[in-house]
Amino acid sequence: MILKTKQLSKSFGGLKAINKVDFELPKNEIRGIIGPNGSGKSTFFNLVSGIYDSDPGSYIEFDGHDITFAPPHEIATYGLSRTFQLLRLYQDMTVIDNVMSGYHTRVPYKFFDAVIGRKKIWDQERAIKEEMMELLSFVGLADYAELNASELSGGQRRLLVLARAIAMKPKLLMLDEPAAGLSPVNVDNLMKIIMQLKEKYGLTLIIIEHILKVVMDTCNSVTVFDHGQKIAEGTPAQVKDDNAVIEAYLGKKMDDEEMRKALAV
Amino acid sequence: MEKFKSIIRDYPFIAFIIAFVILAFVPSVVFTDVYQSHLATLIFVNIVVAAGLNIVKGYCGQVTVGHVGLFAVGSYTAGTLFLYLGLGFWATLPIAIIVTAIFGVAMGIPSFRLEGPYLALATLGGGEAIRLFIENGNFFRSTFGISDIPTPSLMGYNFDSPDRYYFISMTIMIIAVYFSFSILRSGVGRAFMSIREDPICAAAAGINVKKYKILAFILSAMFAGAAGAVYAHMPPGYIHPNNYTVIEMVTFLAMVVLGGLGHIWGGIIGAIVITIVYDLTRPLYKYQLLIFGLTIVLTILFMPKGLGGFIDRYFLEKRFKKKTGTEKTT
Repeated sequence: MILKTKQLSKSFGGLKAINKVDFELPKNEIRGIIGPNGSGKSTFFNLVSGIYDSDPGSYIEFDGHDITFAPPHEIATYGLSRTFQLLRLYQDMTVIDNVMSGYHTRVPYKFFDAVIGRKKIWDQERAIKEEMMELLSFVGLADYAELNASELSGGQRRLLVLARAIAMKPKLLMLDEPAAGLSPVNVDNLMKIIMQLKEKYGLTLIIIEHILKVVMDTCNSVTVFDHGQKIAEGTPAQVKDDNAVIEAYLGKKMDDEEMRKALAV
Repeated sequence: MEKFKSIIRDYPFIAFIIAFVILAFVPSVVFTDVYQSHLATLIFVNIVVAAGLNIVKGYCGQVTVGHVGLFAVGSYTAGTLFLYLGLGFWATLPIAIIVTAIFGVAMGIPSFRLEGPYLALATLGGGEAIRLFIENGNFFRSTFGISDIPTPSLMGYNFDSPDRYYFISMTIMIIAVYFSFSILRSGVGRAFMSIREDPICAAAAGINVKKYKILAFILSAMFAGAAGAVYAHMPPGYIHPNNYTVIEMVTFLAMVVLGGLGHIWGGIIGAIVITIVYDLTRPLYKYQLLIFGLTIVLTILFMPKGLGGFIDRYFLEKRFKKKTGTEKTT
């Protein structure tokens, strides 16, 4: 198990955004997370990556480390990387700087070497830059390396965010709606790149996605959230036929008696 | 030429040694009177402050308006150390840097909780508090100021006139700029920039946001402290609380903004331009603040990345055109 949560809860005031979720994820799996808006998917990501503190009684374990109360930067050093729904691109930095800043946890030299500016530093910086340029050309952004990130198109931004998250060579990559707002062709292209990256770096993936086709086609297993609770888990085929899932998405099926009552009012 | 470039790339300090040699010949070749050396020293002091301010404001994105207070701490550490202990420049400079770094930590702690204009207000209060503390403290000779702070001497040679002191300020400036360049071009500079752009995402990428914010404040405070000490020992060696008011802060801000926030040359270009303009407009002293206020507003409106970004943009577009054969104008 690379990621394990026990009784994970988070409430904002009276609202239980996440309510006692037990979640287990084996290595090398591609897990899809689906659920209606406001069901707690993104909150789950924020809890796992340490951006929110979870409520007392929760337990999160990542790759053998207890990360329940760890700050986000510490969790990142254990090899957990994530993207954000709203991208959070570094707008005023060049594309290559964006990707290189994702490399932070792997930077080999110490601060004082950098202050003194030894030759070693510049050699290592160049090696990092070369490696990151390779990554950029892999996702197809090498030509734009020196432009500002704010000058990229929507689809290119999604690719850049993906590259930045990969730069730290994570063990687990959590993608929050990677394909939101893309045209169908671009979605296919993006998913192809994600799969290639998974093979190349041996990643474990968690994907939140509203495009069900993507989830059903690419994921090995799917977890469904509703009202902060895990309501179903299993292979895509199992989840598709689950009554609780259909209810969460489409509403409850009524029998004749209930229907008559509802119409009478 | 290619070989020379690769040597500079590996050993950047060689470029700084070359700059040192060139600047060392400037007084005897270019300058016609002592006043120009004095002005050059002022430029160098301002460059050191602006380079430090660029780290915390331009790169790390923490809007600090109390930097002039740190500058004052540097000056007055040097001044009081001379006044009570009779220490000379070579002792006061390192102590001033350390003391100012401690004040930098205090100035940086509010940045954990405050952002943008709120942080600006907090640091404005901090900077003014330091000045008022000095102005009302007999320990610091209050409004009399500290006078006759001695110029440094090295191996019997006394840097006691502006054209001799030029070499001290220039050396400190070259070293400070070298450090700022190597810090900002390394991963540390990138970490600062990511915090400026998005602290939450930076934290998720493994950057310890609090640590790096404090680090930025400490580094820039050290620059301000060094500049303050150099300023205090500058002939005629007189410091007064009126040299550290909000007006000076506006000038420092104008330097960084005009040069280009977050541009590696930003503070340096801005310091040179603003100091010279400041000197040329001395007859219009009533309108100087107006000029600098307008400079800040107009630069932010029409040249948000300052002179540095403007020049960069020109070369970038040229290179992009050459590479892809297309026009890119956004």
